[in-house]
Amino acid sequence: MIRLLVVDDEIEICEFLKSYFEERGYQVETAGSGDRAIHVLEKFDPHLVLLDVQMPGMNGLDTLKWIKTYHPAIKVIMVTALETQEKIETALRYGADNYITKPLNLNYLDKEVQGKIVNLIKH
Amino acid sequence: MKLYLRRRKKLLKKLFLGLGFFVIGFLLLMMLSLSEPGSDVLRPSQIYLFLSLMCICVIAAYKPLDFAISLLFRNWLFKNKSNTQFLLMHLAEELETVLNLHELGNLVVNTFGEVLHLKTVALYASRGEGRDYEVVSTYGWSLTEARKSPMSLKAAIMELISSHGQYVLVRDKVIRAMGWKDATRLSHDFNALRASWVVPVYRKLELVGFLAFSAADTESIIFDGADFQFFKEFASKIAAPLRNALRVDVMQEEIKKLQDEQSELVQTTKQEAIEQLASGIAHEIHNPLAIISGKAQILLLKKDKMGISPQVEEMLKAIVTQTQRASDIARKLLMFSQGGGEPPEPLNLVQILQDTIALISYQTSIEGIRITSAFHGDIPFFEGNVHEIREVFFNLILNAVQSLQEKGGKIHCEINYLEREKMIEFFVLDTGPGIPKESIQKLFNPFFTTRHENVGLGLFVTKQIVHRYGGTVRVESRLGEGSLFLVLLPCRTPRKAGKEQETAMV
Repeated sequence: MIRLLVVDDEIEICEFLKSYFEERGYQVETAGSGDRAIHVLEKFDPHLVLLDVQMPGMNGLDTLKWIKTYHPAIKVIMVTALETQEKIETALRYGADNYITKPLNLNYLDKEVQGKIVNLIKH
Repeated sequence: MKLYLRRRKKLLKKLFLGLGFFVIGFLLLMMLSLSEPGSDVLRPSQIYLFLSLMCICVIAAYKPLDFAISLLFRNWLFKNKSNTQFLLMHLAEELETVLNLHELGNLVVNTFGEVLHLKTVALYASRGEGRDYEVVSTYGWSLTEARKSPMSLKAAIMELISSHGQYVLVRDKVIRAMGWKDATRLSHDFNALRASWVVPVYRKLELVGFLAFSAADTESIIFDGADFQFFKEFASKIAAPLRNALRVDVMQEEIKKLQDEQSELVQTTKQEAIEQLASGIAHEIHNPLAIISGKAQILLLKKDKMGISPQVEEMLKAIVTQTQRASDIARKLLMFSQGGGEPPEPLNLVQILQDTIALISYQTSIEGIRITSAFHGDIPFFEGNVHEIREVFFNLILNAVQSLQEKGGKIHCEINYLEREKMIEFFVLDTGPGIPKESIQKLFNPFFTTRHENVGLGLFVTKQIVHRYGGTVRVESRLGEGSLFLVLLPCRTPRKAGKEQETAMV
């Protein structure tokens, strides 16, 4: 089963993404902050992380940097609200595999996730 | 007046001296004629003696007599001169109640110029220690002309005044007394002041300012020592009022500066507050929107399993689209508050405009609305942010479309390059109902709208973007005829992009 980690400081967003992807047959874990995400990540070892950019404490970009340093194989899709182009570019430079803007179009997100996972399974 | 009493004494002294000489001469004559009573006719030697004595007396008496007579004559003739002086002294007393610097200055120079029949008069004053002496008022020449030559403390004439104190400076005398180099500098200053005479205005030991004046014809008016004495007195009388008026003026100046600074500060603070608020709202609103939209989408996906009726499905779809719309508003707010962020790139404005028109035709119902566009001149690439420029085009055209929504009509967009001004001109002309005058003022205010379904941010954001590029937005409108929105954007890198062309779309 494919493991998915959703990181967002809004519990509601985590919840509906979890319910959505579980419906689709993924195994989903959630984390409410960057620090929590790192903690969960070590045990859960997900294939893909949906990572919110703007979070209190350790923000999305720092978390991304950490993931890509210690677990470069894990795919990361950034979830952005109103971030500037600059921030998005920084995220892509840090190794983010793609980004998607809020409010989320779930169909589109599902396709993105699948695309990344297919690649993963092939390799 | 004191001045005239002193003068009268002098006059009498001279008169008595002249008369005295005559009496002596007459007595001598009598003595000679009495010495030889026998003879009827005077001997030639006696006649010569008499004549020579007479001559001596007349010669001795001539000067004082002449002076006395001329003074008497002058005093009688210049009765109005004493009137003049009375008038000026009266004015000086009146001035004590005048606090407005320009009113005071004008009173002084105009009265001075009129009553003394002068050609030019200028009143100069310093607003504070160490500051230049600037013109306050002029008579006979323009104030703007006089403003060109303020007198610094280092000017030759100012040095002369400060070294000589209260004395009246007479141009010709002063220049003649100076060395060649100083004389050149001084005559330059006198020329700048257009003055033949300069009267310093001292308040105790402080030089408040000076009066500079000249006569039309130097021969016609010649002032004497007494006049100069009077000028000095007049100057010392106006010194205190002038000082007070200057202080008031400086104070008013400072108050005005403070008020300006304050209003500017209020303006920027307001602007900053709006920007902060906008960015705050934009950020905060996004997560709730994402949740609403996300949950509605999940419900839609589960519709078969949950048995959702078509009516509810419609509603859920509406929730998804409306949250998207709300998030667009938040995005606009953020665009306004952040000021771009992306580095500018060369843009093909013609292409962007065409894309925008296509997008609008696709997004909104433009039945009965005809949109045309035209481009004149080689329109250069414009250095900017594509999102921002598209936003400007989009908002202005959408605004026009919405104004035509009820009755239909024509919209004409045009981009022109104004070669001489190095400006790009973009305008949108519609045949809509027009905008009432009172609304034009508020048109660019945030959240101003005449249509209920609108947020009222479009034109506000447009104006912010255009201003960011150093451009301007202008609106002209006639009720019943239509409106024109004209944007001017400065374009510093003229490079060729679009060719002249005309297109039309229905």
